Amino acid sequence: MDLNPKDLRVDAAEKVRGETHYIADEKIPDLWYAGTVRSAHARAKILAIKFDPAFDWQSVAVVTAKDVPNNYVAMIETDMPFLADGVVNYIGEPIVIIAAPNKELLQQAIQHVRIEYEPLPAVFDLLASETSGVHIYGEKNVFKEILIEKGDLEAAKAAAAATVEIETRTGFQEHLYLEPQGLIAIPKQNGVEVRGSMQCPYYIKGALDKMFDGKMAVTVVQSATGGAFGGKEDYPSLIAGHVALLAAKCGHPVAMIFDREEDVRYTTKRHPSYIKSQAYVTRDGRLLGLDLTLYLDGGAYSTLSPVVLSRAALTATGCYFVPHVRIHAKAVATNTVPSGAFRGFGGPQAVFGIEMLMEKMALTLKLSPRQVRQINLIEPGQTTATGQVLKYSVSARETFEDVLAQSDYERKREQYIAWNQPILTRLRQGRFPKQDQNDVLKGIGISAFLHGAGFTGTGENKIQGKIRIELNAAGQPIIYSAQTEMGQGEQTVFKKILAEALGIERDRVLLSEVNTDIVPNSGPTVASRSTMVIGSLLIDAAQEMIAQLSCRLRDEYGDDFEYRQGYFWTGEKILPFESVARRYHDIVIEKQYCHPAFIKFDDTKWKGDAYPCFSWAAAVAEIEVDPVTLEIKVTRYYTSHEIGKAINYDQAVAQIQGGSLQGIGWALYEKVELKDGQFDVSGFTDYIVPTVMEAPEFHVRILENPYPFGPFGAKGLGELPFVGAAPAVVSALWMIFGREFNRLPVLPELLHALGIGLRAR
Amino acid sequence: MQIRFFVNGKEVELSVSPKRRLLDILREDLDLVGTKEGCGKGECGACTVVMNGLAVNSCLVPAFQLDQCHIFTIEGLRERPWFPLLERAYVDHGAVQCGFCTTGFVMSTAALLANAAPPLSLEQIKWQLAGNICRCTGYAKILAAVMDLSQQQSVVNEIKLDWQSAIGGR
Repeated sequence: MDLNPKDLRVDAAEKVRGETHYIADEKIPDLWYAGTVRSAHARAKILAIKFDPAFDWQSVAVVTAKDVPNNYVAMIETDMPFLADGVVNYIGEPIVIIAAPNKELLQQAIQHVRIEYEPLPAVFDLLASETSGVHIYGEKNVFKEILIEKGDLEAAKAAAAATVEIETRTGFQEHLYLEPQGLIAIPKQNGVEVRGSMQCPYYIKGALDKMFDGKMAVTVVQSATGGAFGGKEDYPSLIAGHVALLAAKCGHPVAMIFDREEDVRYTTKRHPSYIKSQAYVTRDGRLLGLDLTLYLDGGAYSTLSPVVLSRAALTATGCYFVPHVRIHAKAVATNTVPSGAFRGFGGPQAVFGIEMLMEKMALTLKLSPRQVRQINLIEPGQTTATGQVLKYSVSARETFEDVLAQSDYERKREQYIAWNQPILTRLRQGRFPKQDQNDVLKGIGISAFLHGAGFTGTGENKIQGKIRIELNAAGQPIIYSAQTEMGQGEQTVFKKILAEALGIERDRVLLSEVNTDIVPNSGPTVASRSTMVIGSLLIDAAQEMIAQLSCRLRDEYGDDFEYRQGYFWTGEKILPFESVARRYHDIVIEKQYCHPAFIKFDDTKWKGDAYPCFSWAAAVAEIEVDPVTLEIKVTRYYTSHEIGKAINYDQAVAQIQGGSLQGIGWALYEKVELKDGQFDVSGFTDYIVPTVMEAPEFHVRILENPYPFGPFGAKGLGELPFVGAAPAVVSALWMIFGREFNRLPVLPELLHALGIGLRAR
Repeated sequence: MQIRFFVNGKEVELSVSPKRRLLDILREDLDLVGTKEGCGKGECGACTVVMNGLAVNSCLVPAFQLDQCHIFTIEGLRERPWFPLLERAYVDHGAVQCGFCTTGFVMSTAALLANAAPPLSLEQIKWQLAGNICRCTGYAKILAAVMDLSQQQSVVNEIKLDWQSAIGGR
């Protein structure tokens, strides 16, 4: 394989030229528009749905819960209805959906629906949920509970020189993909086709097959997708049901394209979290034991919360070896918009918890943040909390040392501590802290992080992703998989992997449209799995393709052909791949994924190999804090990532830059709170994401340490960069102020509330 | 109301509501869907077009402001002789991911190169692109592409000339 060439993206030119069609760009004749009547209450009984007789209801299509054959969105559980039936559990929950031939009539129709409610007590606090007496899910509002235990915590406690404790909290986060949610359903003979912006066409197909009770033929087609980050993993199944029901009812194609406000207010967010860690440590900072309690706020319905919780719990010890562990994790229900998948999937909350524990250990034991991490970094041969022995492709220490070196962390830390001294002194004395406009506080922070690649636990073996390779009449291979391009570069990577494995030009490889009638179910495009899992199937398929073509050549020529870099060769004959493929283009290769047999996980006892491998990283963030306004800015961001092998080096760097900036946003800008049970944000004005002005100077290094079962050694990448950005930024705040910071996001008003900064006199 | 204006150099006459947004006129009435709607409130920059030579959010321009105006969208820009150089910079620098913000960035980039006096500093470029939000890239590669373009004097001159003779409409 070429050494880190600059592989230009296959989809870039078309996107620059504005020729890529997203779902809202489709011209579909006779298209109707759909809208939603939503709950005004966080929890209430629905007493009546009244349709004003003054409106001509024959001119539109209306669907309520009673019209839905199976009224639940099939995910892990079946608790979430497509349309509320008798009771609502969050503000904005869909109750009635309407389709109309034009947008004006649709708005009129929505305004002529009146819902009568009997409000019920609601719960919004994740820690109060279990004992609130409000019953949203089961007896105690617990979607999932996990207990992971290793070793003997009491022994650790007895042997420890000190106990260090910290509680951390993180808030909601909105994906804010640039293209809002949007799907169109087109009625077909005895069925329906749904197309639009999505990550997981087979999740949607599964949900619609269940909804229609298998009585409608369902086809799902992905359109060009303008960003997703997890936000288009689970949520589109809900609106797919809505458009499909309306299309089936009115007989017209029906579009539901959210505007930004509807998208921000009513679609899923990152799970808020609470973590309490109690660490038993030696005087030099070595972790002997960790007792950790973790809560995630799942919102009103379970969606993917059980598996988000698994990843959070399994990531809770971070990049560190801890001999004795107890992790007790719960995902609970509250009366808010259901939380859903978001890049990192529970990992970022967990890593924030353990990294802030490291900061607290350093502060308590008077060690440097570097030292407490270095002494605990996990090594090959050591075990994780589930007893997984790390056997290969382990780079916690390598990435950490690399980022220290590339950022010059130690020297800058000393330098900034000295620089800040006079400014902090003036601040503490109540004097104006700036004598010069350059008098800003400078900080440098560090984090170590990891991401388990692929589905958690037995997930990959349950999904058993399948792909197919066909040959066209010109002898070009065509990849059939359900993996979706949403900006991450999947199309470019897949073409490159197959081309490299066959020894042919990348541009000769074709990709099928992602259409469930055509492509097999290779599983969802989530969990940083596409390159590692589906990529490995592409390699297997290429090898089998070569073997089968060689067989045919032997049958025809009676000679054994050898395959060399795109050519079949024997004695005096040499034939290029494409001419042979053209000749035998009836060959079809199918491959199905299964983990290597030695990877074993028990997901009832939480023991074993939670992931086939982990990707590793470390980051250093340099920040400046204005001592007057307390505005925080990341100026430089260094990170070293070990992802096995970067298939497309340039776009791997791009993923790392983009994911890191999202993590910086989560740390410093992106705040969503509840006001009377409703999100207090509506768009880009009140939900602040980083612009180019907030982007730091990036220094990205990618290290290689091949995973034996990934394509060319590759592991997962997509989520990892997000995971450790926030803790690195907040670590820099600990450095500047020499005190604890334990929640996200950190806005200037939080620093003011903590008593940092000038007091009004 | 009746309006007469120019889109990508061609004269257009329409009878529209005075409040109708330029974005809807482009996408729905004229089928120019390269311009995207990301927020509808002038906050994200995905719908950026060039109006009388300046980059504007087309979701904030009502029809009554359009009479006699010169509008350029990505469909017009991509036909200009210098466009392949801009396209190549974005592609070569890996500045594109999901693509939904991309055409807006491209419009802002062209207007920036046409209107600013060289040489451009990194801070100036950042300031000019601050109205366009990208959620995928972290901006680094977009900045690299624009910086690279801004340093190619012949490209900048070609764009400036085209702006004076055609795109600016003055």
